[in-house]
Amino acid sequence: MRLEEITGVMLDFDGAPVGFNYQGKSFLVASRPVRWYSRRLWWEDAAAAPKGAGAALLEVEMWRLWAASGELRFFFELMHRRPEDRWEVNQLNSQ
Amino acid sequence: MSFTHLNVSSAFSAHYGVTRPERLAIAAKSMGFDALAITDRDGLYGAVKHIGACVQLGISPIIGVNLRVVDFGRVTILAHGHDKGRGWAGLCRIISAAQTGRGKQKNIAIELKVLAELSVNCTVLVGADNIVSESVTANPQLALSRLREMQSQLANPGQLAIEVVAHLTEPGTALSIEHARAMLELARVNKLPSILSNAVRYLEPDDAVTADVLDSARHLEPLGLFAPQPNAQAWLKPQADMVQLALEITEDPKQSVELLSSTAKLADRCRLEPQSDCGWGKPKTPEQSALGITGNPFEVLWQKTHSAINWRYPNAPASKLAEIQHRLSKELIAVNQLGFATYFLTVADVAQMIRDMSIRIAARGSGAGSLINYLLGISGVDPISEGLLFERFLSTERSTLPDIDIDVESARRHDIYKAIFRRYGGDRVTLLSMQSTYRGRGAVRDSGLALGIEEDQIDEIAKNIWRFSARSFREAMANKPELEEFAKQSAEDRKLNLLVDITQRLDRLPRHISMHPCGVILGNSELLNLTPTEPSGVGLPMSQFDKDDMDPMGFLKLDVLGVRMQSAMAYTIQEIARVSDKVVDLDAVDRADPNVYQTIRSTNTLGMFQIESPGQRELTGKHQPTKFNDLTLQISLFRPGPMKGNMISPYLDGRHGFREPDYIHPDLKPILEESYGVVVFHEQLMRIMQVMTGCTLARADEHRRQLAKPDKAVKIGEYFKKSASARGYSKEVIDRVWSIIEGFGSFGFCKAHGAAFALPTYQSAWLKTHHPTEFIAGLLTHDPGMYPRRLLLAEARRLEVKLLPIDVNYSTDEYRVERVREIIGVRMALSDIAGISKPELERIKANQPFVNLSDFYLRARPSRRTLSRLALIGALDTLAKITPQTDSNRGDLMIRIRQLSAKAAPKLDLNQMAFDFDAETPLSKGGHKPTRQEQIEQELSITGMEISGHQIEQFQQMLDEMGVVRAGELISLRSNTEVLIAGVRVATQSPPMRSGKRVVFISLDDGSGCADATFFDEAQRRASQVLFQNRLLLISGKTRRTGVRGVSVLAENAWDLRQLWSQWQSKAS
Repeated sequence: MRLEEITGVMLDFDGAPVGFNYQGKSFLVASRPVRWYSRRLWWEDAAAAPKGAGAALLEVEMWRLWAASGELRFFFELMHRRPEDRWEVNQLNSQ
Repeated sequence: MSFTHLNVSSAFSAHYGVTRPERLAIAAKSMGFDALAITDRDGLYGAVKHIGACVQLGISPIIGVNLRVVDFGRVTILAHGHDKGRGWAGLCRIISAAQTGRGKQKNIAIELKVLAELSVNCTVLVGADNIVSESVTANPQLALSRLREMQSQLANPGQLAIEVVAHLTEPGTALSIEHARAMLELARVNKLPSILSNAVRYLEPDDAVTADVLDSARHLEPLGLFAPQPNAQAWLKPQADMVQLALEITEDPKQSVELLSSTAKLADRCRLEPQSDCGWGKPKTPEQSALGITGNPFEVLWQKTHSAINWRYPNAPASKLAEIQHRLSKELIAVNQLGFATYFLTVADVAQMIRDMSIRIAARGSGAGSLINYLLGISGVDPISEGLLFERFLSTERSTLPDIDIDVESARRHDIYKAIFRRYGGDRVTLLSMQSTYRGRGAVRDSGLALGIEEDQIDEIAKNIWRFSARSFREAMANKPELEEFAKQSAEDRKLNLLVDITQRLDRLPRHISMHPCGVILGNSELLNLTPTEPSGVGLPMSQFDKDDMDPMGFLKLDVLGVRMQSAMAYTIQEIARVSDKVVDLDAVDRADPNVYQTIRSTNTLGMFQIESPGQRELTGKHQPTKFNDLTLQISLFRPGPMKGNMISPYLDGRHGFREPDYIHPDLKPILEESYGVVVFHEQLMRIMQVMTGCTLARADEHRRQLAKPDKAVKIGEYFKKSASARGYSKEVIDRVWSIIEGFGSFGFCKAHGAAFALPTYQSAWLKTHHPTEFIAGLLTHDPGMYPRRLLLAEARRLEVKLLPIDVNYSTDEYRVERVREIIGVRMALSDIAGISKPELERIKANQPFVNLSDFYLRARPSRRTLSRLALIGALDTLAKITPQTDSNRGDLMIRIRQLSAKAAPKLDLNQMAFDFDAETPLSKGGHKPTRQEQIEQELSITGMEISGHQIEQFQQMLDEMGVVRAGELISLRSNTEVLIAGVRVATQSPPMRSGKRVVFISLDDGSGCADATFFDEAQRRASQVLFQNRLLLISGKTRRTGVRGVSVLAENAWDLRQLWSQWQSKAS
């Protein structure tokens, strides 16, 4: 999976993305986004895992959605790294 | 409509669930749930704790189990409630059936047919981890057919339901929304009810990390080598989240309401009513018929106790008889009032059965305070003469069954269990189980496995984990000198740092279930409807409930504890009878024998029950006991509580006349006289309460029990002050007494317990005094104490007990006493030879005596290794005719052994005995004769004991040069003398101290006796490298006189003796 960091992610009240910048263009979400949760292999890189470290040590929030920018319409998978609040994206295919 | 979690694994799903049931229940209550299920894997291990917590919180308990069905996979089975226990009984029977079929490999599963028969009052949920859920999206046809198969067997309405679970995993995979939707559809197609659950394994998302580590322990693989859980969604989600999930799965408000309402409906059906469903809190004892009693049990008890007065108190004067009668009536009235007559008769029946098997038995604990127990032969201590109170044991203020604990010979314990099963029937008896939980070392080991850390490295870390819980690992790293090195490493090594965190997470989680060392549950014929059972290590079924579950379930638990000392004493008596033809009735010997107390006072207490530890030895030196009650006091005083409460020195000062005892008020003098004004016993506290407030002893004991709870203690304080002042005690007296009572909670000890312990203490001391040789044989055979056998040999030498070397013609698997003309000695046993097998032992025993080496080789058929080990330690010397006078030696014997064992020994055929045994050729001459030192080293490495001399001898030259003092000489030195001591470490102890600081006691044995060294903070830091590690030590310090016969060394530093030796040698050469 080829991941790229993205910026300018806008969220709705439920925390679902509604728009973001990707490869210099501004994309708007064009489908109902599907949220799921993946995981990290924390034992490979975490420096500590004390009680109360939180789910973010293990869990990663993922979104699958269609987004469009002008004529372009892509199916994306967004990954939300919660401790750092960083977003990465993987373009799965285009229409 | 309220949601209920119907699939919840608690920490009692070993290596799977993360959260203890009590915490889950509290969280559920605070989240507004009005019911909560727990459905642990393979058993009801946490069920009673869950019910207890729910009852206390006022929510409905629901109980189920997650179980594997043969050729199908996991299902969750919930018991229906409010059906007079039919659902609960079904659940118990289902689990027992799944557990008993498991055979040798732990394959716990139930046949579908059996499940169908037993689950008519249960609901079986088909959720995750089975063939249906695994194939529902990939192969819907298979899922459908397997579900129909199940449906045809579980055909009652409501007996089967589909459990819909979504953990929001990657779309399309197991536990995803799509997957849940497919399960829901499957239910609809088959007209089965469906319910929503979250298949909970932890309370909060944060606990998912812990779940990863538990998964690793279950798979026995490091993290990364197996498929991990998909994410952290399996937590106890609040109502709103579950409602949202229902909507996401169904994508339809109406359908989601249907799903939630069928969940609520099933939850309602499964709410348990603990009293009527589980027999909650109702005491259960065997039926009269099972005890062989006809008529009123109380009348039988009255009869039995009264007719035993003559046996226990022969020739008692009338005044004494009146006292006995009065006391007995008081006890019988209480027993009758509580309806416990059957209980006492049951315990008496078991005790009688044990005595009929000729097995030694003694009571322990508060039960010794009861005259009924004394008269029924359950206890051997006279509660009247020892001043023990019945009310401490049983009172009308409580309705739970009292504990009567009995000690028996450890070697016969399993025989007793089997006999109890035979006598009362397998439907009324099960063994008790216990959950072992993660403690420091185990937690470090499993965490290390999870992170893939090298085993050697983990061993090294585990070795230095000493007396602290996993939870406080990081704290310990900061202040324990032996962890300093590790703390440095972990600061730089990411994995080691993680290790600390996850070790702390594992603390106190249940690890595995095992047989309780002494508990037996005795019930009526309904027992197996109330508790699930599983096979134990000894082949008898054990309950899945632990000791804390007994009271709430109303189960009668009998503690039949195997005590090695009882076996050692029984063996001693048997050897006395065999060799000297003398019958010793240990229970009848004079308990005021001055010779016995003289032996005790010498502080050579090794082998004496309860008083052989270094601390007790030191206290014995200071205390100098002269009578039975002194032993009771000494045993009760050497406890963490009294030590913390600084009770020992005022007691000793009073006893030795250094201080006038302070009784605070003349009324208290009769109560506190025995302990010179110090409150030692629960019984004393009860009597103080009684005298000063006028309450009954039963009430006083209730007050005493509540002192531990701070809020209750305040109320008792008010009551005490008010009542005592109404009875005319001055404010000063009241305040002083109350300050003692208030602090007493953790300090005091039950006198009955102390007295029950003191009996075997005295008995073992009696045997050591009057029959030392036989007693040493008993100790060696049954290894009852805290010290290694090699130290017992040193004690034997000190006592001038003759030790006879291992000899294949005389030695057996026991340390037998042999009589050679007028002298008796202990023949060393074969059983401590490393690697000797049971069949080898038995062949040697069965074929003794042997004529010569070939004969031995042919008939005993030892392995090559065993044969050469026997030769090396001299066990073949007699056969090979090696004596100091002959020219051949053990080196020559070894050559012959190699020739003999070059070929495997032929299977013996008695018809073809071709050997001419008498014609064995003599041994060659001139081989290497082992030195004395080599011989001792061989004995140590092969038997773990030095039989011909002491290990320390090899360093003697260096030790003499350094001026090292022998342990036996310490007593003759003045206090505060600078000394060096050296020896073999025989004990390391770190008892809790008054100051809260850690103190480490190390005992060294150098062949002349035992020297005890005490390490405080500074010394611990200096000696941190060897403190818990090396066996052979040199310690520097100052002598400290601790009483008439007491001396110990206040340590300054310690070194590894072997290391010093090699330095010394290289310097010398």
